[in-house]
Amino acid sequence: MSSFDHQWQRLVALARQARADHDPAVPPGFATRVAARAAALPATGPWAVFERFALRGLLVAAAFGVAAIAFNYSSLQSDQGEDYANADAVGELLELS
Amino acid sequence: MVDESFDFAGCLQRVREHDQAASRSLVTALYPQVIRIVRAHLPRRVAEEDLAQDIFLKMFTRLEQYQGNVPFPHWVSRIAVTTCIDQLRAQKRRPEFRWADLPEEQAEMLDHVLSDDREPLPGDALAARELLYKLLDQLKPDDRLVIQLLDLEQKTLVEISGLTGWNQTLIKVRAFRARRKLQKLFQELQQQEKS
Repeated sequence: MSSFDHQWQRLVALARQARADHDPAVPPGFATRVAARAAALPATGPWAVFERFALRGLLVAAAFGVAAIAFNYSSLQSDQGEDYANADAVGELLELS
Repeated sequence: MVDESFDFAGCLQRVREHDQAASRSLVTALYPQVIRIVRAHLPRRVAEEDLAQDIFLKMFTRLEQYQGNVPFPHWVSRIAVTTCIDQLRAQKRRPEFRWADLPEEQAEMLDHVLSDDREPLPGDALAARELLYKLLDQLKPDDRLVIQLLDLEQKTLVEISGLTGWNQTLIKVRAFRARRKLQKLFQELQQQEKS
């Protein structure tokens, strides 16, 4: 055994003699507090994870939908306006006759 | 440690049915085991009750993942050990260890261990424990955990593997690395003492 091993084992053996003498009893109110907090935690499990992601997915999809309408609103309106402006009602009637 | 007669299966069933009284019973039954792990691996500046609470909350959060392959107290022990090591990893800075900063009784203890000059006295155990924890504080969290479980708590490689999830080769490597670092530390301390 090397000098270090001997020294280390001596220290560890001595330290082992100092058993932790703290009281292992549950502190008053600890179990109640932990149980209450655990009950307030969001549910877990495969479906809970799915629900969380599904809700986020729905919100993201809704945000994209609103953004798409907002960005294209003016072009949609102008397209409709152009259709009316370019319509040649007299020409179409003459072609039909 | 854990009350052998405690009906974990029945209690877990009631906990899953959101029975708060069963949750309290479960915490009370497991507290002595959890607090022993917390006290053995307590990171600096972390209150033991806060850490114990974190462990129990993790236990409740992950309850659906418990398959029953191992006894429930073992499963909780693993959560306790990994929570402690996560806390230790979060404390990146380790305090510098210098002979001059040691309290008198710890410096005396270190001197006694290094020089091997006398038989230990009854009051030496506490100083040795304090000194040992200061030395362990100098190690990386994973290495510290291995050396503590192996040397101080005298657990087998199989038991450590069960608690940490690390394979036995990795545990041996970490133990070797930890001992080498401690050896270097001892050498530095001896030099400081001489100078």
